[in-house]
Amino acid sequence: MSKGDFLGELEQVVLLAVAQLGDEGYGVTIQTEIARRSGRRVSLGSVYATLARLEAKGLVGSKLGEAMATRGGRARRHFRIKPAGLRALEASRRVFERMWEGLDQGAEGHRA
Amino acid sequence: MSPVPGRWLAWLLTRLLGEDAEQALGDLEESWRARVGGRRPSARDRWSHWRELGSFFRPSVIQALRSGREGGAGRAGKVAGMLSDLRVVWRGLRRAPGFALLAVLTIGFGIAATTVVTGAVDGLVLNPFPFPDGKRLVGVGTAYPKGGTPLSFFEHLSPAEYQDIARAGSLERVVAWDMGNRQVTFGEVTENLFSGFWWGDAFPTLGMEPHLGRGFSADELDRRDRVAVLSYRVWRDRFGADSAIVGKPVLVNGDPYEVVGVMPPRTLVYGMDLWIPMPIGPEVYPRNRRQFQVLARLAPGATLASANAELEVIARQVERAFVSEVPDYEGWRIEARTWADVNVASLRPAALVLLGAVGFVMLLVSTNVATLLLGRSSARSRELALRSALGAGRGRLWRQLITESLLLAAAGLALGVGLGTLGANALDATVASMAAPLPGSIEVNGRVLAAAAVVALIAGLGFGTIPAIHMLKGDLQRSLKVDGAGSTAHASRLRLQRLLVGFEAALALAMLAGSGYLVHSFRKLSAIDPGFETERLLTMRLSLAQERYAREAIEPFFVNLRERVGALPGVLAVATASQYPPRVFGRAEIQLQDVEVPPGASPSAYVTLASPSLMPTLGLRLVAGRFLEETDRPGSPLVAVVNQALVDRYYGGRNPIGRRFRVGGDELIEIVGVVASTRNVGLDQEPGPEFFGSTLQLPGLNNQMFLVVRTAGDPYQALPLVREAVKGIDADQPVYAIRTIEEAFAESQFRRRVSTFMLSLFGGFALVLAAVGVYGVVSYATSQRTREVGVRMALGASRRAVTRLFVRQAMLPVLGGAVLGAGVAFLIGRAMATLLFEVEPGDPLTLLGAALVLAAVGLLAAYVPARRASRLDPVRALRSD
Repeated sequence: MSKGDFLGELEQVVLLAVAQLGDEGYGVTIQTEIARRSGRRVSLGSVYATLARLEAKGLVGSKLGEAMATRGGRARRHFRIKPAGLRALEASRRVFERMWEGLDQGAEGHRA
Repeated sequence: MSPVPGRWLAWLLTRLLGEDAEQALGDLEESWRARVGGRRPSARDRWSHWRELGSFFRPSVIQALRSGREGGAGRAGKVAGMLSDLRVVWRGLRRAPGFALLAVLTIGFGIAATTVVTGAVDGLVLNPFPFPDGKRLVGVGTAYPKGGTPLSFFEHLSPAEYQDIARAGSLERVVAWDMGNRQVTFGEVTENLFSGFWWGDAFPTLGMEPHLGRGFSADELDRRDRVAVLSYRVWRDRFGADSAIVGKPVLVNGDPYEVVGVMPPRTLVYGMDLWIPMPIGPEVYPRNRRQFQVLARLAPGATLASANAELEVIARQVERAFVSEVPDYEGWRIEARTWADVNVASLRPAALVLLGAVGFVMLLVSTNVATLLLGRSSARSRELALRSALGAGRGRLWRQLITESLLLAAAGLALGVGLGTLGANALDATVASMAAPLPGSIEVNGRVLAAAAVVALIAGLGFGTIPAIHMLKGDLQRSLKVDGAGSTAHASRLRLQRLLVGFEAALALAMLAGSGYLVHSFRKLSAIDPGFETERLLTMRLSLAQERYAREAIEPFFVNLRERVGALPGVLAVATASQYPPRVFGRAEIQLQDVEVPPGASPSAYVTLASPSLMPTLGLRLVAGRFLEETDRPGSPLVAVVNQALVDRYYGGRNPIGRRFRVGGDELIEIVGVVASTRNVGLDQEPGPEFFGSTLQLPGLNNQMFLVVRTAGDPYQALPLVREAVKGIDADQPVYAIRTIEEAFAESQFRRRVSTFMLSLFGGFALVLAAVGVYGVVSYATSQRTREVGVRMALGASRRAVTRLFVRQAMLPVLGGAVLGAGVAFLIGRAMATLLFEVEPGDPLTLLGAALVLAAVGLLAAYVPARRASRLDPVRALRSD
């Protein structure tokens, strides 16, 4: 796996949130999804910057929705994960699993 | 504050993010609504929201978003680069907090000065009136050279003359008014209001629509109906901004009037708060009863010049027709000027001087910050060299240095506008509380803010450029090569620093001299004998309503009042008078008996009607004859006491006791005494001729009188008791225009006091800045020459010799600057000549004083670091780099 394909930590989190949200993924929902699942507050700016990088890498796709009154007449941009995105998540997960192999017991032990 | 970014931020975001801004703004709005729901947003909600918004302005976010889409970097890359410059600069400043603080304070004070002065100049001189098409709104003044009356626009016209003026075809809507005080009752509230009585409708003349209701209708004016218009401030402050007031009745001196309108905000004419139609027609008054003023609007197609030409023709016609009856008319002039000119002309010189002073202050501030930046250049040159070695282009470094200056300027701007707003408000309160309020108000409005911002920008570029040129010239990386000891660089820096200090010294001297002139004028003024004892004299005005006090009831009221007040503890003496120095206004023509008066000349004098106790109460000095006495009564011969100025002017200085004169009517008045003149028309003016008559002998001529109380202690401590005494006679009788005579003198010097105060403040600031500059130069020089000092001391030089060496070198630019500054100070003195009192523009004493102060402060600022250098241990000094 080349360096360019490796997902950064925030990239993984954002990509996972997009995957979780299915059709409902856009700035605000992605932000709240991350907050809900991880308790972590990521600024909208960071979410957008990460999404832009993911899109440039071809891992997510986006399309513009309808203008909405609750948004001051502005449209949402909906993000959906692409097959390449799912593959990248899988790859990252495998990397971590391999790295974790053999440590699980110990970590559990420490936690106890 | 709106939860959604305003127009400007949204625009900026769109420029930075391109199409992504749309979704970003949409998301911001959506998350705001989700966060707040229907409740009232808390401060925390706002804070989180602004943080969220701010996150889009992070350079990394901008870069990521821009490069993620086609059309990439371009402009946004530049902005991102600028933001990252800002971050570098910010970190740099945080590492040097002392420098940053000093620079921001310096700029902040300069901007504060700019804000206050431009606020005052804008509010009082440039835009005092919100009247539409104000250039066509004119005041009409008159001058009577025969009577020695110069061109005046205040209480100067008779009703007949108003009608003459109204004939001019180049003037449309000519209106005239008289002024006085009226007690106005609305509901439970009774207020004494300064009122105008109008012939003609002021609204169309001023070119304004009322804020509420309407102006006077032509019918109402013709029928002299009882209708009233209130000023906005009275309606808001005293009548609770109740819009139901239109159509409601108010009592004006007990008579029912209908309120038909409220003036728009700030529309004041001489501070007038109540506008009502004049209850009688112009034809009632004699031709020389001059107490009116005239406002007019130029007719379409007319110019000020054409109007004045026509007024000149009218003046000559009137002269031919009436000169035998009213000798004043010989050579009299009628002149129209723009209303703004009429009111603010006297303030203009002070405004110009203060604007000039602010310019100097900002030059000085810029120079000073430049020397501060230069002072950091040795530390910076290493950092710049490193960045240059790592590939930063000269342009990038240049940009970073300018960014730093602009950031400092922006911080200074914020601080300065804050301080300046406080200052402007304080000044505005002072102006508003004066006896004769200036038309206009001082506020920090858009124009003032724009001026402050432009000044800050220019200053930022100015003080940033000089050190940047210095730091970026030549081989940037030399300081890496020779370990910072590039002696030519240091020599060039020291040269530049000295040059700047010389410049600062010149500016400081000019400022010191400018304030010195004024302080000197003030000292001369305070050395002037006002002609009586001004201390501990409380005054206030009472207007007895004509509806409630018949003429015969007026003097008994005041006799009663004098008795009651005189019996109060802490009251030494009490009097009532129609006017008092330094601002007497009632003037009349007099006909002198047994005196050769040049034909055509018409002597006149200020007429003060007072209780006989006025003379001992004020402490007037008797020159000849006697004071007015209690025994001068209606039955006994009419008597008057005159002042020395009258004797000098009309009797050639000879003793006038026993001589007689007439005022208007046939009755002869005998002069029984002469008192020393008081400064009755202002401290800086020669006393005008004045005579005093007794209200006991001539009762009931004036229903408005001033109560004058001499107290043993603080005059204002007596005020509650005096009020009680008034209430004891008539519970509904208000007192107003309460001030001490000392305050009245101070107010008459308002222009000069404000100018003096500001210039002294600026002068002191200039001195501090110059001292900081000198200190910086000497500190730097000594730090660079430590080794040399060591050698000198090792070779036997005394500490004093070392100290002297550095002090001498530092003082050369100061003295050079002082010489240059003295030349500038001379020019400044000429520019401010109208503000000076018996002080010449090049006053050697002032210049010498300023130079001495500057030299003393410069010496001290040089001595401290020089002495520190001389305390070095020679051995350690030799070892140092």
